[in-house]
Amino acid sequence: MSSDPIHDNFDSEEDDGDFDADANTSRDKPQEDGEPATNALDGEVDEEEEEEDEEDEEEEEEEDEDVPARKRRRKLNHFFDDEAEVDDDDEEVDEEEEEGFIADEELPELNDHHEYREEHRHRELDRQNEQRQAEDMEAIAEELSRRHGRSRRGRGADSGLVPRRLLLPSVQDPNIWGVKCKVGKEKEIIFNIWQRMEKNENTKHPLPIVSVFEREAMPGYIYVEAYKQSDVMEALEGVQMVYPRGTKILVPIKEMPDLLNVVKSAEIVPGTWVRFKRGKYQGDLAQVENVLSNGLEVRIRAVPRLDYGNNLDRARENGPPLAPGEKRKRNNFKSNTAVGRPPQRLFSEIEATKNHSKLLSKGTASNGGSKNFTYAGEEYEDGYLVKDVRLNLIITENVNPTLEEVTKFATTVDEGAESLDLNALAQSLKTSSSTYQVGDTVEVYDGEQQGIVGKAVSVHNGVVTMDVIEGDLKGKRVDVPFKGLRKRFREGDQVKVTGGKYRDESGTVVRIVEDKVTIVIGEGEDMNEVTVFSKDLREATEGGFATSSKYDLHDLVQLDQLTVGCVIKVDKASVRVLDQNGDARTVIPSQIVDKVTRRNAVATDRNGSEIRIGDTVKEIAGNTRSGVVLHIYRAFVFLHNREMNDNAGVFVCRASNLATIVAKGGRVQQSTGPDLSKMNPAMLRNGASGGNMMPPPARVGGRDKTIGQTVTVRMGEYKGLLGIIKDATDSTARVELHTKSKTITIDKMKLGFRDSITGAIKTYQEFVRPGGGRGDGGSSFSRTPGGATPSWSGGSRTPQIDYSGSRTPAWMAGGGNRTPAWMANAEGGRTPAYVSGGKTPAWGADGGRSVYSGNRTPAWNPSSRTPYIADSERSAWDAGSKTPARPSGLESWGQDSGNSSTTARTPGAYNAASPEFMAPPYGKEFSAPTPGGAMSAPTPSAPTPGPISAPTPAAWGADTAPTPGAIGGGYGRGGAYPNTPGAWGADDDQ
Amino acid sequence: MTTPGQMRNMRACMICSYVQTFQKFKVNGCPNCEPLLSHLGHEVVEDTTSPMFEGLIALREPTKSWVARWQRVDGFEKGIYAVKVSGNLPEEILRELESSNFFYQPRDGSDVMDD
Repeated sequence: MSSDPIHDNFDSEEDDGDFDADANTSRDKPQEDGEPATNALDGEVDEEEEEEDEEDEEEEEEEDEDVPARKRRRKLNHFFDDEAEVDDDDEEVDEEEEEGFIADEELPELNDHHEYREEHRHRELDRQNEQRQAEDMEAIAEELSRRHGRSRRGRGADSGLVPRRLLLPSVQDPNIWGVKCKVGKEKEIIFNIWQRMEKNENTKHPLPIVSVFEREAMPGYIYVEAYKQSDVMEALEGVQMVYPRGTKILVPIKEMPDLLNVVKSAEIVPGTWVRFKRGKYQGDLAQVENVLSNGLEVRIRAVPRLDYGNNLDRARENGPPLAPGEKRKRNNFKSNTAVGRPPQRLFSEIEATKNHSKLLSKGTASNGGSKNFTYAGEEYEDGYLVKDVRLNLIITENVNPTLEEVTKFATTVDEGAESLDLNALAQSLKTSSSTYQVGDTVEVYDGEQQGIVGKAVSVHNGVVTMDVIEGDLKGKRVDVPFKGLRKRFREGDQVKVTGGKYRDESGTVVRIVEDKVTIVIGEGEDMNEVTVFSKDLREATEGGFATSSKYDLHDLVQLDQLTVGCVIKVDKASVRVLDQNGDARTVIPSQIVDKVTRRNAVATDRNGSEIRIGDTVKEIAGNTRSGVVLHIYRAFVFLHNREMNDNAGVFVCRASNLATIVAKGGRVQQSTGPDLSKMNPAMLRNGASGGNMMPPPARVGGRDKTIGQTVTVRMGEYKGLLGIIKDATDSTARVELHTKSKTITIDKMKLGFRDSITGAIKTYQEFVRPGGGRGDGGSSFSRTPGGATPSWSGGSRTPQIDYSGSRTPAWMAGGGNRTPAWMANAEGGRTPAYVSGGKTPAWGADGGRSVYSGNRTPAWNPSSRTPYIADSERSAWDAGSKTPARPSGLESWGQDSGNSSTTARTPGAYNAASPEFMAPPYGKEFSAPTPGGAMSAPTPSAPTPGPISAPTPAAWGADTAPTPGAIGGGYGRGGAYPNTPGAWGADDDQ
Repeated sequence: MTTPGQMRNMRACMICSYVQTFQKFKVNGCPNCEPLLSHLGHEVVEDTTSPMFEGLIALREPTKSWVARWQRVDGFEKGIYAVKVSGNLPEEILRELESSNFFYQPRDGSDVMDD
C-alpha cells in the first residue's frame, strides 16, 4: 500500500478547509507535509515564508493548547491568510513600486540620478540583509516543520482528544447497513473487500463505500458504511460469501455506537483461573501466577500430567539412540493430545529420577531451591508445572472451576484455606450458571428498575421474572436480567450456602454489604463468620439443616472393624466423630465404612438393668455425667447430654459404669417386685451383681413366650375371666378377654396360664421357668415369691447384706488361694453353679430336710434363693478374692444352730479380718468408695448385729426358717464347699 | 494482498490499531506510527503490535467515516483496522509517545468508561 495518494487526499482535505481562497496554498503545502521548501525562493517569497512561519508557529501553539483544534485554526488561518494577502498586496505594491522605480529611473536620470543610485544601493543592502535573515528563518522553518509536521501527523486522529460523546454519529454521517454473509468468513470478506478498495482506489470507479467492518460478537453479518444503499449493492457485487441481495439492515443512528462497542476483556491478574485450550492439558484448570509485561503471555501453574517415561514407547524413545523416525513422530504427536494422557499428579522427584534422571535438574537457589525442578524442558515448582503460555492458548472466560479442581491447588499450600482466594474464585465464577430459583426474594440494584424488590416466579435464560413486592412497580410483574439482580436477605435470616467454598453450610445472616453477605455458621465453639456472595445463598427452610452428607448428627458409624464412632459434627466434606474410646476425630465420609443401625441394642448397666436407647443413665464413677443413651455398641454406650459442650454433648461410657435413672417410656425394669437393686444401697455399692441377675424369668430375647397363651385372670378386677395374651412386656401382658371384647393390661403375675396339654393352671413363673414345670411342688413354691421374697427385700435384707458385706473380709481371710478359681470361670456361668452347688449339698447334708429332698426345685426358684445368691454373688463379683472367705463365714454359720446368733457373731469375726485383707484386692478392682463403703459397714460391729438380729430371725422364722438353717448347715458342713463345682455337681446328684 | 492463510500472522498496532501481517510491520513499520517510532528501529514493532485483536474495519475514507472517527482513526491511513487490540505497550514506548506529545489512546477498551 502506498501512502502518498492518501497523503494527498488527507492534505487536500485540510486545504479545502483552511486555504480555499488562498492563492498561496501550493506554497503552504510543502510545509504541511513537513517537506521544507528550500528551492527557488526569492525575496518576496522569503517574506511570505517568514509570515507563514510565524503563522505556523502560532498554529502549532494553538494546537498545543489542546483546543478542539479544527475550528479555531480555521478562523485563525483565515485571519492570517487575509493578512498574508494584505501582505502580498503590499509586496505587490512594492513590486509595482519597484517597477515604478525602474520606470522612474529614467526620471531621476533626468532629474537626480545620483540620488537614485544611493537609494538603490541602500535597497540592495537591505535586500541582502533580508536574504540572510530569510536563510536563517528558512532553517528555523525547516526545523519547525520537521518537528511539528511530524508530531502533527503522529497525533493522527483529530478526534483524539474529543470525548466520545461528541463523536456520536449524526445524520450527516454515512449510514451503516448490516449485510448477511457466511458465518465464520467475516474476516476473510473484510480482507477481500479491502483488496477491492485498494485495487479500485485510483481508478475512475473507486468503491463507493466509506468503510466496512465486522465484529466477532455479531457473526453472520458485515457492516457497510456508505451514503446510499445502492452503493452498498455496488460495492458488494461479486464479493464472495456476502449476500447483499438479502435483507440489509439499516442500523439506526442510535445503535451505531453499540456496533463498535469495545469491552475490555476481564483483566487477567495473578490468581485468576484459566483453562488450557488444547494440547495435553486441554481443559485442565490452571492458575495465573504472573502476567508478562506485554499482557499477552502469562505464567501459569497447573497440575502436571507426566508419565515419567513409564510409557513403553516413550521409554524407548529416550533410551537407545533413536527409534525409527516416524515412530517418534507419532509419539510426539500422541504425547501432546488429551487422549490417553496420564492422570493429573503433582511432580514427583522420585518418579522422575527413576527413568529420566538426566532430564531432571534441580532448581537453582535463586528460584526457591530444593522444591524446584526442571524436567524435560519444563519447570516444576512445589510439584506444579509452571509454564509461560500465550494468552490465546488459554481460556480466560467462563472457566467455572469446580471446588475439586481448585482444591488441587489449595491443598499443598500450608495455610490451606488462605490460599483459596474467594475473590479470585468469585471472579471466575461470576458468569456461572443460574443461581436464582423460583421463590427467591431478589432485589434489582442496577439499571432502570433499580431498587425494586420482588419474588422470582420464573427463571429463564438469564432473566428472572418477578412479582414486585416493594418499590414503585409494586404488584406488577417484571423481567430483569441476572446482571442487575441480587438476592435479598435480612440480617437474622437463616440461610444456607448453595455454592462456593462454604457450600452446604448454613447459618445466620449478620451483615450485608452490597452483594456480600456475612453469615455466622457452626455452633458453640466452632462458631465462625464467613462472607459469601448473596447469589450463593438461599433462605434455609424451616429448620432445614439438610446436608448433603450421608451421615447425620448422632449417627453411629463404623470406622473400622473394631471401632465405631458417634457423629458429633457434620461438615460439608468431613464428619467429626467420637469413637468408642472417647477420642474425637475428624474423618472424611469415605473413611466411614457404614452407618450402624441397630435400634434395639440392649446392654446391662452395672445393676444388671437393661439399658436401651433413649434411657437416661448416669455414670457411676468418674465424672458422674448423666445423659440419654444414643447408641449401644457392645459394652459401650454413647450418651448425649445437651448441657455439655464437649463433643456436642456426646460422650461414651462402658455399660458397666452406668446406672439407669429413667428408662425410656417408663419401661419397667424389673419383671417382678420392686427394684431391689435400687432400694438396696449395698447392692448399688457393691456392684454389678445386682439382684436381678439371677432371678426372674429373664427373657433371653425373642418373642415373649406368653404371647398367644390362653390365660385366666387370677386376681383383680377381671378375676376369673379368660383371655388370650396379645402382647407382653417383661412384667405385664395385654390380654384380650374372651368375654368382654376388651383388651386389658395386667401384671403377668396375676395371670394363670393354662397348660395346653394338661389343662392345669400355672403361675407365670411356672410357665416361664422350665423347672416350674414340676407338678406338685408348684403350689408350695408359688408361695415363695409372696412370702419369702418380701421378707428379704423388706428391709430385713439390708442388715443381712451388711452382714454379708462384713463377712466378706472374713472370706478373704479364709483363703485367698481359692479366688483365682472363681475368677477364672466365666462370670455368668459361675453364679448359678456356685449357688446351686452351695445349696445343694446343704440339702443333701441335712437329714431333716429330707422333706425337701425332692425339691431341688428351690434351687431353681429364684426368689427363694435370692438372698444367698445375692450375697455370695456379690462377694464374688466385688472381689473374687472374697469368695474363698466364705467358708470361714460359713463355718461360723455352721457352728451356729440359730440364725440370730449367726448374725451376731459373724460381724465380729469379720471385723477383725477386714482391714488387712480387704484393702489390696479391692483397690485393684474398684474405685475407692465402693470398698470403703463395704469396709465401713463391718467395722462398727455393734450396731450391725442389733438390727439384724431382730428382724432376720423373725422373717426367717416366720416363713422359711429352715432354708437358711439348711443352707447354713450346708455351708458349714462345707468341707465340700471349697471344692470346686465338680464337688457340687456330685452333691447335686444326691 | 492478504490471503486467509496470512490471517494467522496478522498483528494489530497497539497504538493506532492498524492491522497487517507481522512481516509487513517488520519491513515497513506501522504506516501511522512509523514516524514516531522509526528511530527505535523496526524491531520495536514486536512490542507495539499484538496478535490479539478483534473486529476488522476496512477503511477507505478515514476522513468521512464515522466509524473511523468513533474509533479515533480518522486522520490515519486508509487500511484495515481492528476494533479492539489487546495487549499493553511497554513502558519505554509509552514514555516515547508522551515525549513527542502524542496522545495515546488505548485500544483494548479500557477507555470506554471515561466517557
